[in-house]
Amino acid sequence: MAWTWFHRLASPPHVYGFARRWTPWFGGAAAFCMLIALYGGLVLAPEDYQQKDAFRMVYVHAPAAWLSLMIYSTMAVAAAVGLIWRMKVAHAAAAACAPVGAWFTVAALGTGMLWGKPMWGAYWVWDPRLTSELVLLFLYFGYMGLRAGIEDPVKADKSSAMLAVVGVINVPIIKYSVEWWNSLHQTPTVMKMGKPAMDMAMLWPLLLMFVAFGLYFAAVLLIRLRAELLRRERNASWVREVLA
Amino acid sequence: MSEFFSMSGYGVYLWPSFALGFGVIVLNLIMALNSLANAKQEAKRRLEMNP
Repeated sequence: MAWTWFHRLASPPHVYGFARRWTPWFGGAAAFCMLIALYGGLVLAPEDYQQKDAFRMVYVHAPAAWLSLMIYSTMAVAAAVGLIWRMKVAHAAAAACAPVGAWFTVAALGTGMLWGKPMWGAYWVWDPRLTSELVLLFLYFGYMGLRAGIEDPVKADKSSAMLAVVGVINVPIIKYSVEWWNSLHQTPTVMKMGKPAMDMAMLWPLLLMFVAFGLYFAAVLLIRLRAELLRRERNASWVREVLA
Repeated sequence: MSEFFSMSGYGVYLWPSFALGFGVIVLNLIMALNSLANAKQEAKRRLEMNP
């Protein structure tokens, strides 16, 4: 009985229906949280004693960077489930993650560069954190390129899944790069053991923004997953029913 | 108001940063919706061809 939910996850029509029902809820909640977090971060939070108002870039940079890693981890888990249980829906989910993850890696790098210039005096330095995040972008590109380059969908699923799973080694490297090596990038402020090193007035909009980005990703993933399922299952009878 | 936009002199970095971050958010939503609309259209066309 406990496993019925897992079996349902393998059923494309079930997942398609679930995605259609839940997307507006995730999307609506994401927009709501994002607006409140923006107001909290840009207006209510006090300025930093060292970085002044420049610190407010954290409200877009940190959630984007977190999402770039979270999406890669999600993609790797979905790819592994697809490989182990040969679950088509899992491969579809992994494929749906990749473009979104790549875009958020671009956002993390770009917003980081804009923060780096006034604080470090340079848009880019070949620092462990920045370099490993750039490698993440190339992993996403590699994954998407591999999928696009293999015509047989089953082979494309398998090969790209292997790459996604192997590439997950980069996720802890990015996360701990600031602790393992000398880095210009600061060490974690929020996601560390013990108390976050941030005042509550600055912290709550950031935490809310993390929630908003997570909900947003769920909504976009579910939309992309539906598109993937329709393309893969175009000969299945359930497609006729859902499009009727 | 201009004080808010100047962001203690860092506005020139801060606003492009927010524009990039939230631009990616809007863009990804549009791209995902486009991808779904295309997939639906393709599937419908296929169904019409093979009723």
